[in-house]
Amino acid sequence: MNAVSTRKAAGKTWSKETRQSMLGLAMVLPSFAILLLTVIIPIFQSFIMSLTNDSGGYDLSRYAYLFTDKGMRGNILFTLRVTAITCMLVLLVSYSLAIYMRFNQGPVVDLIRRTYMIPLFIPGVIATYGLINLLGNHGWLSRMLEVIGVELPRIIFDEKGIIIANLWFNIPFTTMLLSSALSAIPSSVIESAKDVGVGRLTLFTKFIFPLSYKTFLVAVTFVFMGVIGSFTAPFLIGANSPQMLGVSMQQVFSVFQEREQAAAIAFFSFLLCSVLGAFYIRSMAVEEKDKI
Amino acid sequence: MLWYWKHVGRRRIIEFALLTVFAIFFAGPLVNLLVLAFSEKWNYPNVLPQQWGFKWWTFVLAKDDIVSSISLSFLIATLVTVLSIVVCIPAAYAFARLQFPLKRMFLFSFLLTNAFPKMGLYVSIAVLFYKIGLMNTLLGVVLIHMINVLMFMTWIPTAAFRNVHRAQEESARDVGASPFKVFRSITLPMAMPGIVVASIFTFLNSLDEAQGTFLVGIPDYKTMPIVMYSIISDFPSSAGAVFSIILTLPTIILLVAAQRLVSADVLASGFQMK
Repeated sequence: MNAVSTRKAAGKTWSKETRQSMLGLAMVLPSFAILLLTVIIPIFQSFIMSLTNDSGGYDLSRYAYLFTDKGMRGNILFTLRVTAITCMLVLLVSYSLAIYMRFNQGPVVDLIRRTYMIPLFIPGVIATYGLINLLGNHGWLSRMLEVIGVELPRIIFDEKGIIIANLWFNIPFTTMLLSSALSAIPSSVIESAKDVGVGRLTLFTKFIFPLSYKTFLVAVTFVFMGVIGSFTAPFLIGANSPQMLGVSMQQVFSVFQEREQAAAIAFFSFLLCSVLGAFYIRSMAVEEKDKI
Repeated sequence: MLWYWKHVGRRRIIEFALLTVFAIFFAGPLVNLLVLAFSEKWNYPNVLPQQWGFKWWTFVLAKDDIVSSISLSFLIATLVTVLSIVVCIPAAYAFARLQFPLKRMFLFSFLLTNAFPKMGLYVSIAVLFYKIGLMNTLLGVVLIHMINVLMFMTWIPTAAFRNVHRAQEESARDVGASPFKVFRSITLPMAMPGIVVASIFTFLNSLDEAQGTFLVGIPDYKTMPIVMYSIISDFPSSAGAVFSIILTLPTIILLVAAQRLVSADVLASGFQMK
């Protein structure tokens, strides 16, 4: 009798677990299907397509073109240059701002805290358009500076314009990530370090940076990919040549209608970001494991 | 004056200077558009408009394709928000509360949407959509809008569901509430702030999406940002400024309404594990 009831109970829990598994999978699968259709399949497909050549066979000619064509090579180098400069400036400014907000009090800090995220919600086209009007030839800034006799250098339709627009988009987001990481550092750690007389620089290198470097790397990933994959700002602000990769692949796809070549440029941009992308997924997975 | 600055101290002066640069850098472009939108005549090199007025507002609101782009944008944003709530909230609940095979793999698969540069991903999608006939269709545009929101629409509510204490759910079960009743009157209300923030973010994201729509929605699906692309090149800058304000207005209204719910911590949980 006893054995029967335990078996019954065991059978029941097993079936409950199965039910939960089925339910869980059923709840997750629709969103995974969208992910499959909009991310996973397109990436495989563009990889295969980028390997086809004009005569219908498979080789690396589409990739060879990226390095042999002078214009394309110029675009790639230009993109890397803009990305590197933007990443450095964004991280420098955002880290300083996040630390400033974390360890200072007062009405000014409150004001920044309340407002710094606003640019995150402003449509990219609008911000770009505002920057064009503000910084352009005969724009508002040049009119203001003219009053005191200063002439503004060429910013719009130039590398400087693209970098400035990227700063505008990326600084608030990066600051948001970093300040959320810094708020997780207990004040007691910082206070006790200060009590034993640790200097500001040591405080940063020995406490603040190690406690937030993971988010720092996530931030690097987002800025790097954000700039390489950007379109709106370079499309509206950039010069005709050299172009950022995002603009160049849109042109190859929509204007020249060379889908295979566009797929190759897209996949090449994935390769450029692959190390950081893999790192991002891996570090998130490790974090989750620690929690369980 | 000099005495005053000395009294304030060098640190304060540097702080003040940096903050001014910041304010001009971030607010400048937006203030400029605001001034432009209400200027009727503003010739170089005047620092302020010679004549203020609403001329360009009537001009913009009289253009049919501009007005129709507004309703199209809101239609698409609503569709994207509803669809992603229907698809992602159950998934978020499953990730937070149920045990099922390959759970971690599914949870992390959403990170893929952030692991590739956006324009490269859009071009790959356009290549696929071209093959299966989704170019220039409503479904194609809605799908491309969903890529950006899939991750935080799943992760922010997952974090919100996880933060609901199991003890509260269990005590409700103990007094005889059905699982559905527990979900409706305990779990869902407590997770609501996270879900609301994610939904607002989704709506705004779809409203602002330009690059993907530009690639797969042309020529029939001209949303507001796409119309903005052509306004920038075809119309005087005051017309563009007016349309910019119309495009930014929903953002401001929704943000002010949800001000208390939006914080760095909630938003950050949509992009990384915390």
